[in-house]
Amino acid sequence: MDAKALLDHQFVVAAYSVTWIIQLGYLAWLGIKWRAQKREAARNIRDTG
Amino acid sequence: MKKAAISLYVVVTLALMIWGFYQAIYVAPTDAMQGEIFRIIFYHVPSFAAAFTFFSVSFLGSIGFLSFRRSHPEWAQMADAWALAGAEVGVVFCTVGLTTGPIWGRRAWGIWWTWDARLTTTLVLWLIYVSYLLLRRFTAGPQMQTLAAVLGVFGALDVPIVYMANRWWRTQHPAPVFGGAEGSGMDPSMLHPFLWNMLAWFAWGILILAIRYRVERQHQKIAAREAEQALNA
Repeated sequence: MDAKALLDHQFVVAAYSVTWIIQLGYLAWLGIKWRAQKREAARNIRDTG
Repeated sequence: MKKAAISLYVVVTLALMIWGFYQAIYVAPTDAMQGEIFRIIFYHVPSFAAAFTFFSVSFLGSIGFLSFRRSHPEWAQMADAWALAGAEVGVVFCTVGLTTGPIWGRRAWGIWWTWDARLTTTLVLWLIYVSYLLLRRFTAGPQMQTLAAVLGVFGALDVPIVYMANRWWRTQHPAPVFGGAEGSGMDPSMLHPFLWNMLAWFAWGILILAIRYRVERQHQKIAAREAEQALNA
């Protein structure tokens, strides 16, 4: 692999990595939010009987 | 049954993502002009296609909320949840497009960014929907949903402008690959990997859109219950 192709490859890796970090980061944030809401809903129901 | 269908959808989506990645890296040939860097197209373009689609979902949800808020309050709440989910997932995909684009541009053009019509209108679109999300996050009260819906409707007007920008004006951004001038298009050896990735990213987008919708509906129910408790206290 020549220098140009190697640099291109590194940029492609960077673009793909950024994509997955953003997408998986958002999914993780959604998961945390979902769990917090489930706990809040359960507490809400318990408090009101 | 419903759980099994959801699990199956998740498995199919993950399989599509893996297959799409394989197609993009190992199957698609290296571009004769751009070389390896061209492979960014398999993530960059589907991200913007998904962003535009989810902003359209937000637009329809906003219209639905404004239409039903007096006659069918429950429908209006559902429409509002779709509007929020569409805007948020759209921002996620638009962020991906706006970060992969400069990475590609740095190698292809030698610059990270330029203020041409395509890039600028896309940044404005992103800023409009980020402001939509900030409006929803930092305001409260009965008018919040209505204001957000109005912003959602006006924000969506930028989507066709972004799409047409490199057709209407001369831009640093390349001319459209699909639906452009005569001779535009993609070789089938690249088109098939591209379509697999398009399918995979849409499947992924629909999955996170559905999760975000569920979270928002749950939030609405908790808020309604708390409001009812406050009234009864």
